[in-house]
Amino acid sequence: MSAYADSVQDLIDAFARLPGIGPKSAQRIAFHLLKAEPEESRNLASAVTAARERTRFCERCFNISEETLCSICVDPKRDSDLLCVVEEPRDVVAVERTLEFRGRYHVLGGAIDHLQGVGPEQLRIKELLARVGPEETREVVICTNPNLEGEATALYLNRVLDVPGLIVSQIASGLPVGGDLEYADELTLGRALTGRRLIQGEST
Amino acid sequence: MELNRLSLHNFRSYAELELEFPSGLTALRGPNGIGKSNLLEAIGYLSTLKSFRGVPGEAMVARDTSSAVLRADVVDADGRAALIETEITCNGRARTQVNRVRSRRARDVLETFVVSVFSPDDLKLLKQGPSLRRDYCDDVLVAIRPANDLVRADWEKALRQRNAFLKQLRSSARASLPEPEATTLAVWDQKLSEAGDILVSLRESLVARITPAVAEAYRDLGGGSDLVEIRYQRSWKGPLGDALAEGTGDDIRRGVTLRGPHRDELEIRLNGLPARTHASQGEQRCLSLALRLAAHRELTGSRGSPPVLLLDDVFSELDPRRSRALLDSLPQGQTFLSTATMLPDGCEPDLDLRVTNGGAQVREWVP
Ligand SMILES: [Zn+2]
Repeated sequence: MSAYADSVQDLIDAFARLPGIGPKSAQRIAFHLLKAEPEESRNLASAVTAARERTRFCERCFNISEETLCSICVDPKRDSDLLCVVEEPRDVVAVERTLEFRGRYHVLGGAIDHLQGVGPEQLRIKELLARVGPEETREVVICTNPNLEGEATALYLNRVLDVPGLIVSQIASGLPVGGDLEYADELTLGRALTGRRLIQGEST
Repeated sequence: MELNRLSLHNFRSYAELELEFPSGLTALRGPNGIGKSNLLEAIGYLSTLKSFRGVPGEAMVARDTSSAVLRADVVDADGRAALIETEITCNGRARTQVNRVRSRRARDVLETFVVSVFSPDDLKLLKQGPSLRRDYCDDVLVAIRPANDLVRADWEKALRQRNAFLKQLRSSARASLPEPEATTLAVWDQKLSEAGDILVSLRESLVARITPAVAEAYRDLGGGSDLVEIRYQRSWKGPLGDALAEGTGDDIRRGVTLRGPHRDELEIRLNGLPARTHASQGEQRCLSLALRLAAHRELTGSRGSPPVLLLDDVFSELDPRRSRALLDSLPQGQTFLSTATMLPDGCEPDLDLRVTNGGAQVREWVP
């Protein structure tokens, strides 16, 4: 038997299922909302629904977008022959904050992690390979997380991006090992981007 | 390195305990099963964040309580004071802070506080299979240089990934690997051989360095002039990457990686013969002490001061002559010893504690 009314328990459970929120935080958020003005709950609910309903994946780069193509893919000022490959949409945000990258992105949707049942087929790698030719990509910058799964994914991409004339580079080390791109500060990530090392192709 | 003060809350048999320790020798006396080892286990946990008895975290939390809290005021090798605190919950999770800063990895604590543990279980190093000897090697490597923990962790993570992938391949059982499976496996072979090469070169250089130290320790412990050798035997030949590629077929059939540092052996030989099968019980015990003593001396040299020494019921298994030899061979440093019997001759503790009453109380010993 739950100590709370069913609807309250459902709310706590819903929060507890979210990433990074433990049972105690879930409880705290739920009771905060119940104590606050009804307006606050209505705003939260409609923000969640609106974001979920209005957004989808960009059909080209799989970043989160409100249109068929995301704002970066349709921006004419972006270098169209430079592609940055990241694991998640949040990594696009991290790279954008550095102001060091003026190309476009490709979001893989994760990294190779067999323990979680994720192999190359579960990632948007076929879609990446399908882009480099038609978009006349000159350089692919691999920006996966500096942990084992990210490194293995980078190695895999390096092997399959075996396209004549294509430069493949990887974000320079200097990022904390075992970390997430998301948590690297802008300066470090920016430096790592400008100092990326060539792993395949010819230097320009 | 030194432990100045220890406080325990709901740790095993100790509901509340607070003790201060001298720089020299502390003796913990009391009958078997009364909780002397629990105290040493707590001290060891505050260095390695695991039990030297190999039990999971939840086993150390007192029954019917939600968590155990351990606190230690220590002095590191450079003479800096530090506070190490850890909370182990009843589901086995632990949160640790060094100087009130959350530390996520065991190596953060090892940078500050190192222990050497001797226990009767060390005999298993000689008697049992190779995994305990590999762990001995890796634990010494990490204690010498905590960053070596990254090497071990990288290797283990890569191995888990490759094995998970092999299991997946086994269920799909095909003669030759199609794409993208072939490239995926090649990627793991490369990641595994990168990590494995570093781990094995660390282990091999440690074995080369520690072998004469073990032989010397064996002599110091009264083992005589027997020839002591340690040989690191790889489970493969040539570059690891090539061996992994050659073994692909076997690996897929079995669903595990059959070659690599996780299959290597550390063979200990006495007078040219494997000690595991040919040495007497007495010789094996002397060798196991020599392995610990050599590691303790190696750590004393590399860290610049002796680790805190925990001698868990070691003397019950030794005759008076060997007990004396062990005490004489130890570098000067803070030592904790537990015993259910008499202290060895000539052993004069600076603090003599009697553990009584189900381990719940520790009182100063009045003879
Ligand atoms: Zn896009």
